[in-house]
Amino acid sequence: MRQARVQAWRVALPIGLGLAVTACQVAVAFLVARILTTLLGFSTGGGWGDLAGAGALMLASAGLGGVQELAQQSAGEHARARIRAALFARMLELGPADPRGVGEKAALLVDRVEALDGFFARWLPAMTLAVLSPALVVALVWRADWVSALVLACLGLLVPVAMALTGIGAARESRRQLDVLGRLAGRFVDRLRGLATLVQFNRAEDEARALGAAAEEFRWRTLRVLRVAFLSSAMLELLSAFTLGYLAWRHGALMVGRGASDPTLSLFVVLMVPAFFAPLRAFSAAYHEAMSARGAAAELAPLLEALPAAGLLLEEVPRRVALVFNEVELRHPDAPKPALSRLTFALAPGEVLMLVGPSGAGKSSVLRLLMGFARPTAGRIAVNGQDVTRLRPSELRRLSAYVGQRAHLFGGTLRENIRLARPEASEAEVIRAAEAARVMAFAAELPQGLDTPVGEGGHGISGGQAQRVALARAFLRDAPLVLLDEPTASLDPGTEAEVMEAIARLCTGRTAIIATHSAALLGLSGRVLELGDRRLADAG
Amino acid sequence: MWTDLARVLRLWAPRRAALAGAMLVAMVSALSGVALLALAGQGVAAGLAAGGIFGLAALVWVRPLVLLRPLLRWGERMTSHAAAFHALADTRVWFFRRLAERMPGGIGMRGSGDLLGRVIGDVDALDRLYLGGVLPAGAGLAVLLAIVALLAGEPWLMLLVCLPLAFALVLPLLLAPAAARAAQRAAERRGGLRAAVVDPLAGLEDTLAANAEARAMDRLDGADRALMRGQRSLAKRSAWAGAAGGLLAQLAILAALGWGLAGGTEAAGMVVLALFLSVAAAEALGLMPRAGAALASAGAGARRLFEAADTPAPVAEPSHPAAMPSSSELVLKDIRFGWRPGAPVLDRLDLTLGEGERVAILGPSGAGKSTLSALLTKLAAPEAGTIRLGGTDIAGLPAADIRSRIVVLSQQARLFDDTIAANLRLAAPGAPDAALWRALAKAGIADHVRGLPEGLETRCGEGGTRFSGGEARRIALARALLPPAGILILDEPTTGLDAAAERAFLATLATACEGRSLLLVTHRLTGAEPLDRVLRLAGGRLLAATA
Repeated sequence: MRQARVQAWRVALPIGLGLAVTACQVAVAFLVARILTTLLGFSTGGGWGDLAGAGALMLASAGLGGVQELAQQSAGEHARARIRAALFARMLELGPADPRGVGEKAALLVDRVEALDGFFARWLPAMTLAVLSPALVVALVWRADWVSALVLACLGLLVPVAMALTGIGAARESRRQLDVLGRLAGRFVDRLRGLATLVQFNRAEDEARALGAAAEEFRWRTLRVLRVAFLSSAMLELLSAFTLGYLAWRHGALMVGRGASDPTLSLFVVLMVPAFFAPLRAFSAAYHEAMSARGAAAELAPLLEALPAAGLLLEEVPRRVALVFNEVELRHPDAPKPALSRLTFALAPGEVLMLVGPSGAGKSSVLRLLMGFARPTAGRIAVNGQDVTRLRPSELRRLSAYVGQRAHLFGGTLRENIRLARPEASEAEVIRAAEAARVMAFAAELPQGLDTPVGEGGHGISGGQAQRVALARAFLRDAPLVLLDEPTASLDPGTEAEVMEAIARLCTGRTAIIATHSAALLGLSGRVLELGDRRLADAG
Repeated sequence: MWTDLARVLRLWAPRRAALAGAMLVAMVSALSGVALLALAGQGVAAGLAAGGIFGLAALVWVRPLVLLRPLLRWGERMTSHAAAFHALADTRVWFFRRLAERMPGGIGMRGSGDLLGRVIGDVDALDRLYLGGVLPAGAGLAVLLAIVALLAGEPWLMLLVCLPLAFALVLPLLLAPAAARAAQRAAERRGGLRAAVVDPLAGLEDTLAANAEARAMDRLDGADRALMRGQRSLAKRSAWAGAAGGLLAQLAILAALGWGLAGGTEAAGMVVLALFLSVAAAEALGLMPRAGAALASAGAGARRLFEAADTPAPVAEPSHPAAMPSSSELVLKDIRFGWRPGAPVLDRLDLTLGEGERVAILGPSGAGKSTLSALLTKLAAPEAGTIRLGGTDIAGLPAADIRSRIVVLSQQARLFDDTIAANLRLAAPGAPDAALWRALAKAGIADHVRGLPEGLETRCGEGGTRFSGGEARRIALARALLPPAGILILDEPTTGLDAAAERAFLATLATACEGRSLLLVTHRLTGAEPLDRVLRLAGGRLLAATA
């Protein structure tokens, strides 16, 4: 909540407008009371002039109310946008270290941040208005009938008590509800991305049922949150109905009994009841929105409060890179054995290193450490003599062209997917990269060529083709350090030979590490380092 | 918009009883509000008119209503929300079923973020159809009729008071179509925001590797701004509609007073009654014009939902399915197929796979190997030619039966964010652990899984991220080997396996597919495969290859 303080004027504006609305309502109630008493023959003050005045005030109050609502909306949206941007930046910074699934992250960024809206848009102004507006009404009613004013004030003071009583545990419930929503979203995205696998095994129906159970849990969690909100608004209605009943009885009886009180003021007091409770109603509604915002904020706070990644910036990307791994260890928190244990090697600028070994031996880990996706748990990695942990991870990545095992194609055209690696590259450079990675070999046959759209995850092209697009990114990137993880794994021997030639060219003059199983790739000139479960041996 | 909303209501037919019940409670609750204020008004009026017995009697009736009214209101909210949320949960499941039916080969060009937005955000917007539209309209109508009945004694007064109120009731119908476009835009932009968030996160490593954080942030910022503009235009409509509603209710008050001023003091009692009725109506009917924006939002949600759900199914299910043949012999004749019109991937392709035969299909990437397995599992239908399974054209067989006979390990086979055991049991529900271990052993990953502290209960992470590429591939392979299907299609089963693991797997392949037909789709052979024949896919046709 503290992270995004709303500018003071953004809150002050709806408060001022809210007070103006109450003032209009008070005036209208007085005019209506005067017309009524005139009608009933108690006085002669009211007439068509009063009616016109009341009409004009009603118009003004409706207009002011509309403007107030819009002012609140605008305060909320600015606060939300700021929080969302901060969260997203933080998630990108955490990178693959954040174990949450994509759907869950999306639920945090979109739905939880939306849930904060009520806090900024309505809670902050409603809190102030719930004190000022009723106070204004009580002060005016006091002049008419102090007993009525006292009754209003006492019942008004009961409202926050009722809110607090019914709101106990509301924030917790709402946090649980949002957790369930996050899980539901996570499950849905995960299953959608593997829809083909589910269909293959005829399990879509079971999954639909499991999803139904998750949706059902979300339903009753939501209802539990609302039950609290409904309970407190029922309390509020009880208070307001009681007030109205009592004041109607009091003023009815006053006049029957003694006839001493001014009938205009009596009617005025009764008519003031709705205006008195309106801001309290808004307060009650906003209170529950604020509670669910607290629930949402509880999950967001740790992400928002974390300090931004510290580290040095690169003045410029060096032309040549020398690498040293010294006793490097990488251990995942819950894994029984380290992903990488005490790895030592050195790589001179322009040298090419082949990492081989059975799957799970830690080949990818070496590359991920150099990409800053993970930090070594022991040992030291140095780039040009500098400890890499001193660099900010995003700066470290500026050194490298990287193709991971699960290279992702984004929804967009082939060209956009390649250009991602270096957006400022010229058209000719993109084409050259596409040619080098043999993307043109298949793109040329597509009717739209490089402008062929591909779906998220590379729908519409084969696995081997997607891999070549990812490789084209590395060509376009033009970085001094080349990191390739199984770059030819899903290529046929013909294409592999062609791509390999291109990789050889890519690595010329650059420091490169290539993790591979392929015997063909081992034909590239370079050192071979075998990682294994056994001892690590530098076989160079 | 109206047709979409009508379709939503039809979709909710199974919940009709609960929805109608809640409506009834809402009407009674609204009427109790009218009764409360009418009686209070009577009391005050009678008091002012110097003590009629009726006035004080009316006030006696106020007391139980003071208690009853909040109770009814609470009951209304609980029942209506419970009913609406049931309907929403149903809708979410319906949507997933439809997607599975209409997109059996995967979600294709639709981003998962976009579909997520539809199932969360757009379904949520549907509750406004009932809670913000149908329900208040029903309650408002009940209130209006009650006022008509109560003021029937003075027809002109009734007309003056009820006209603005009736106008408030129908206003949403007039406002909704104009708001529909704004709502559609806002819904699309919310989808856009979700896509802007999901896309870079789904390919997080590649986003980071390209130092594309700033660009992703810019995209988010743009999407957020666009959404704000969309929401603001909708909020504007809602705010002004709300103001109009409040004004119309107050117009009824002015009308009553005006009628009184024109008519003199005789009818003052009726004026007071009308006044209090108008105050009561303000609660039920004053909010009604906002329903226009609510209906428009619900309509926009429904549009987006149906748009995705109505993707045509790639292969229609046979209306009169034939009986599954017992033989698993596959005969493909003269097959022609292309994903894009005019660009056939397969052309005049013939293939016979005898029962128990093991055949490899070689070909460069993009030659149509994966397309072939899509045709065999009815993810697509050939443009020309026939595919017969045991002599029966598969066009006449239910897709589910085909898929339990023919199991494919595709290149996109995905591990779900669940335990290894649950991922394996997808293929064979209820399989005992021993069977799971056997399958894992055949895929050469059993030892590794045994070494994990949680064994079969280890979670795989989204898309199997907990494991290295080769390990994940082998778990997917074990899953494909698990069910007792007659025909096994392995599409590059050894991608990501090192040479030793690949050799070990191929050595067990003969036992793994004992008694089954095998179609091994690959771009290269090591020579270790236990094969009967090797074919080469080139130019859309299969030719015998000299292995």
